[in-house]
Amino acid sequence: MFAASTSPAQASARTTLSSPVSDSLLSATGVHKRFGGVHALRGVDLTIRRGEVHSLVGANGSGKSTLLNILSGQVSPDAGTITFDGAEIRLGDTARALAAGIATVTQETTLVPELSVAENILLGPRKVRRWSGIDWRATRRRALETWELLGAEYSVDDQVSDLPPDQQQLVEIARAISMNARLLLLDEPTSSLTETEVESLFELVRSLKSRGLTTIFVSHRMNELFALADRITILRDGRTVEAGEIADYDAERIIERMVGGVPTAAAAGGVASAADEAAPVLRVRNLSVPGHVRDASLAVAAGQSVGLAGLTGSGRAELLDAVFGVRRPDGGTVELDGVELRPGQISESIGRGLAYVPGDRKNAGLVLGMTVTENLMMATTSGSLRLSSPARTRERVEARTLAREFGIVAASPDVACATLSGGNQQKVVLAKWMCSSPRILLLDEPTRGVDIGAKREIYRLLAEARARGIGILVSSSETEELLALCDRILVMFRGEIVASLDTAEATEADLAHFAMGGR
Amino acid sequence: MTGVAEAQAQAEPLARRGARLRNWSANNQFVGVLGLLVCLFVAFSFIEPRFFSAANMRVMLTGVGILWMISLGLTVVMLTGGFDLSLGSMLGLSGFVFVGFYVKLGLPALLALVLTVIVGAILGGAINGFLIGKVGLPFLVVTIGTLSLFQGITFLVSNGQTTSLTSSLLDTIGFGTKLGVPVTVWIMIGTLIVMMFVLRRTYFGRDVYATGGNPKAARLAGVNVTRTLIAAYAIAGGLVALAGVLQNAFISAASPAGGGTIIFDATAAVLLGGTVLGGGVGGVGGTVVGVLFLGVLQNGLSLAGLASAWQQVISGVIVILAVLSQQLQRQRRRA
Repeated sequence: MFAASTSPAQASARTTLSSPVSDSLLSATGVHKRFGGVHALRGVDLTIRRGEVHSLVGANGSGKSTLLNILSGQVSPDAGTITFDGAEIRLGDTARALAAGIATVTQETTLVPELSVAENILLGPRKVRRWSGIDWRATRRRALETWELLGAEYSVDDQVSDLPPDQQQLVEIARAISMNARLLLLDEPTSSLTETEVESLFELVRSLKSRGLTTIFVSHRMNELFALADRITILRDGRTVEAGEIADYDAERIIERMVGGVPTAAAAGGVASAADEAAPVLRVRNLSVPGHVRDASLAVAAGQSVGLAGLTGSGRAELLDAVFGVRRPDGGTVELDGVELRPGQISESIGRGLAYVPGDRKNAGLVLGMTVTENLMMATTSGSLRLSSPARTRERVEARTLAREFGIVAASPDVACATLSGGNQQKVVLAKWMCSSPRILLLDEPTRGVDIGAKREIYRLLAEARARGIGILVSSSETEELLALCDRILVMFRGEIVASLDTAEATEADLAHFAMGGR
Repeated sequence: MTGVAEAQAQAEPLARRGARLRNWSANNQFVGVLGLLVCLFVAFSFIEPRFFSAANMRVMLTGVGILWMISLGLTVVMLTGGFDLSLGSMLGLSGFVFVGFYVKLGLPALLALVLTVIVGAILGGAINGFLIGKVGLPFLVVTIGTLSLFQGITFLVSNGQTTSLTSSLLDTIGFGTKLGVPVTVWIMIGTLIVMMFVLRRTYFGRDVYATGGNPKAARLAGVNVTRTLIAAYAIAGGLVALAGVLQNAFISAASPAGGGTIIFDATAAVLLGGTVLGGGVGGVGGTVVGVLFLGVLQNGLSLAGLASAWQQVISGVIVILAVLSQQLQRQRRRA
């Protein structure tokens, strides 16, 4: 099944087993990558041994995903050498990586949901052919060989869309194996799986390992690293910090290397103490969103700033959606000044004083075809009688004032937002929400994709808002940002708020500790 | 606007007017077609002496009356990013809804007209609008279904027979004049003004543009997207019902064959007028330019004695060219 047992390169490698080079399947040295002004990788070294499960560990922005993208051929490196199976290879497109024997299973599925499992395993030109076209029986037989090997519950004839997420992932793994992959890259494979599904995936990876397959496994969850990995490589700021046997590490040491600090006593802080504070403006009780958020409770007082930390997919964004009312919860309540908000009644929530700056501002922030004025006034007037007329002169004056206040550069308040630069569009989104005179401002990733100047401007505006008594609930994947902006930080893990930390005492290491599932 | 604002303060009136004009032409992409319309108009006036006469203008304008109403309704729907294929068959059905109120129930003609418009709005809003806006079904699927549904009901209630109608109100609507202008044209102008006001001067109009432009952002800003969609299809239904009564007036009868392929002409008119498939851009002002363009073209070509097959070929080519030039204009503006 695995090409490793038959390839001549492998055979020659085996004869020199005593040399240290031979037991490494892949090694990368001095890899650099720049994206415009961002130096994502600044000299990464990585050695993967044959037949091991190797984990890449690093915080957001450590360069982990860039490295994975280089190995899977989606991105070509600017500098550095990559040796695979004893020979230097040039990656740069996915087909070449696949041909070399490197297959990737990412978080986003690459399956065609309408097709059968067999067709997905042998997707594209890889079906068995004969003179009259595709030999479906032979194709099915070949798919079955791989599929049965994985011990799957479903038939190869089932449609992929009928499979649960873990089984779909199995199809992707089966495809990789059927392509004679010798190195499997699993990028956060467990993020959408339940505990038992994770366990059976681990079983599978172990059994593949016993057959000689090498795996690179990325996960942010500490317990998963210890359960599965043989060795780890820790990245920070685009550089390799160190690599070693997992047995030599404990959670504390991994976090220390990842963020360059140790978890402190604040990590002992209890859960949900924020909810006990006196007279909060916003109070969320036991809010649940199916599949995303479980039993979240929190409170935000006037002028207070509360942060939501956690990995991508931990439920931060979904919690904000549910608080604002755009995502229907299946339990729990949201109260503003003690009055319960009705989910889905967004203009009512806005009228009561809730504002939401979404994370996906490029797609969900503005109606680009409409004018600056119309966009600025949209939220404020969403409760007005629909057949009444806007006072356009007054609106224009207000728009000019807001533009001055927020530093929006536009030719006139009557130009379409599409004519504005990206940074100015971001400011329009913020201005739109600030002029609805909110009492609570919800923000998701407030500085994602903005330059350093705009970032500073946004921080200044948030500080002003707080000074005016506006409560802030902000979700961010940048821990430094949360530590700078917030009084209190709630950490989410797998949809639950697992910790509530006082910013005065908390460190980046503490946040990482809880975000990765530490207790 | 900060840094620019001071510099602008001096040059304000002229610069601002320039910006407004540019902005106006960006938002009103029918200016190209308007120019074409004027050229066509002048050309026909020279080629064909009968073209530029009061009588012919009356014929031409009332001739596009039905298309005018349907196109206005379709514009609102298309601005929300949708489409309504059922408008053609709803035209035929509305004719018989009027017959039901006027002939069967013996209600006064004016009341029957108002009730017909209300029924049209309910059919559009409660069936198309509800299924698309509330249930979230794709608009093409829904309106293909209702296209067939309305057509079937029309044949059931009419038994496939034309019902002749006599009513002084219908005669006035169809053939009367006020101040030398046909009543039909007054109704067309009135409808246009109301629709322009609703779309450009009310919060609802903004909701329509926001829903078509970016439904996600609109929803987050508190715009009730569902309600906006239901209302848009209801407005289209109401306007088509009015067109149905107009058709009754023109032929002094209700015919089950009414409707037909007029939805394609309406689509051409709306696209010519600069409203885009996908929504958020355009408006009823452009649509009527598109309607008049099609009307002048057809009228002029048939006065020139061209066979109707050639008329169709020429209109088809011109519509494609006009929409193509708009597309290019848009791309250039973006670049």
